Amino acid sequence: MRAQASLQSMPAAAGIGLRSPHVGEVLSTQPGVAWLEVHSENYFAAGGAHLSQLETIRERYPLSLHGVGLSLGSTDPLDRPHLEQLRRAVNRFEPALVSEHLAWSSVGGRHANDLLPLPYTEEALRHVSRRIAAVQDALGRQVLIENVSSYVGFAASRLREWEFLAGVAAESACGLLIDVNNIYVSACNLGFDPDEYLAAIPPTAVRELHLAGHTAVPAPAGELLIDTHGTPVADAVWDLYARALARCGAVPTLIEWDTDLPPLTTLIAEAAKADAYLGALHADAA
Amino acid sequence: MPTLRELQSDFLAAILDGGVGSSVRVAEQFQARLVAGAYGTARGLAVYTNNAEHHYLESLRKSFPVVQRLVGEDYFTQCAREFRRDQPSRTGDLHDLGGPFPAYWHDKHGDDAYRYLGDVARLEWLYQEASTAADHAPFDFAKLARVPTEDYDALRFILHPSARLFSSEFPALAIWRENMRSDQEPEIIDLGAGGERLLLARAAAGFAAGIDVRPLVHAEFVFLQAIEGSLGFGACVAAAAAIDPDFDASAALETFVYGQVIVDLAAEHP
Repeated sequence: MRAQASLQSMPAAAGIGLRSPHVGEVLSTQPGVAWLEVHSENYFAAGGAHLSQLETIRERYPLSLHGVGLSLGSTDPLDRPHLEQLRRAVNRFEPALVSEHLAWSSVGGRHANDLLPLPYTEEALRHVSRRIAAVQDALGRQVLIENVSSYVGFAASRLREWEFLAGVAAESACGLLIDVNNIYVSACNLGFDPDEYLAAIPPTAVRELHLAGHTAVPAPAGELLIDTHGTPVADAVWDLYARALARCGAVPTLIEWDTDLPPLTTLIAEAAKADAYLGALHADAA
Repeated sequence: MPTLRELQSDFLAAILDGGVGSSVRVAEQFQARLVAGAYGTARGLAVYTNNAEHHYLESLRKSFPVVQRLVGEDYFTQCAREFRRDQPSRTGDLHDLGGPFPAYWHDKHGDDAYRYLGDVARLEWLYQEASTAADHAPFDFAKLARVPTEDYDALRFILHPSARLFSSEFPALAIWRENMRSDQEPEIIDLGAGGERLLLARAAAGFAAGIDVRPLVHAEFVFLQAIEGSLGFGACVAAAAAIDPDFDASAALETFVYGQVIVDLAAEHP
């Protein structure tokens, strides 16, 4: 039996995204993975077996709650019922980390239920920073904000994404969850240098890294990368991850996989690979 | 320069309404405000359009697996798209989307040979509701002991938050059970076998416990329905006795209390 994870600390090691088909196996086999992350909205229910299951898992592993539906960047009023459900989940599971996205999903009350990009303007920077601060106030804790994959950008943007992200971290005092695959996907799609992105990130604000697979889709002109979370992490993303670690130091790193979910062992093998990168960093530092 | 609000409104219109009538022109104009790689802004926007539809439809597939199996994936997808046009998402939590879907099936096939789909969809949604309803401690008998005997007739019992009563025209449970397993061909169900009265409630113990689905006789159903409707115990017994004069209220009460279906007394009985 593992020691109860009561101290809310997240190790600088690799975790995996826990999806419902794997919950039973994680409970019964207690695989040796450093920590787990779940989607917050999957635990908004008032009660039921899956909440009890997560409470048991939470006693065995450090946990991260990762939200996908709060629509932080929307110009609609903050979704207080959604935020209240998140607050209840945070109080119930006492996760080591809580994260949301630098994105919006809804306006005028209509939801796309997808992570949509913001224009990188001063207006948007002030708006989203205020919203993040409001969420942190409501939860009584720091929230990590994740960069998303983009397929279009806005002509109105006056800041680069990395400048915007650093600005948000400075204004709202949030932490950063840097998704290395998302940087790579957006860099390929929108034509920027991912290393310029990494170089501009305030390393002390980075509390978590994400790694996931993407899919290249041929288009009549050029190629489009889509953040599918349905394949192994690409070699180029592993290379970028090594450079992210060099920049940020050893940071908890998550393997995310959502579509065409493979056996749990595949996720654990990907996590072991990330652990090897983290281990190499520790060895270099020693 | 357009405001953030304007950009978001135009963006959402482009990805959610972009293919519909006059919005096509609006969407094309909006693309001039975007940038993308060589693949172009229309292709980039299409990723968001596809994602939005995919997330919505996947949520319905997860909530209504048996309906999908009964009608086939293609027809389910066609109907789910039609439903989405009528009921666009207004929630950041995808688990909330399926509530009106049973009524959609009932309306769409209410007058034809597929009328049973409405019953099956309603059963699937109640199952989901029962799975995610609040927890509740078992019945506290000390509370009951404090109620004077002369107040028993007015006693109002409370059902477990997960308890759902279901009645149908068709044998929905038989259809559902036959089609829950995807690894075997379902048996033929006689649709003329008549309807069902069921109680769905979370099984009493253990975090791996699922949902108990149990058939009720008519008087039991009316008895629990009266409790659910906050009637006093005397009125609940009378309602059941009107269906079956031999209804044993004490035995029913014991069964449902020990089965953790009845879990509390109303607030006026502290």
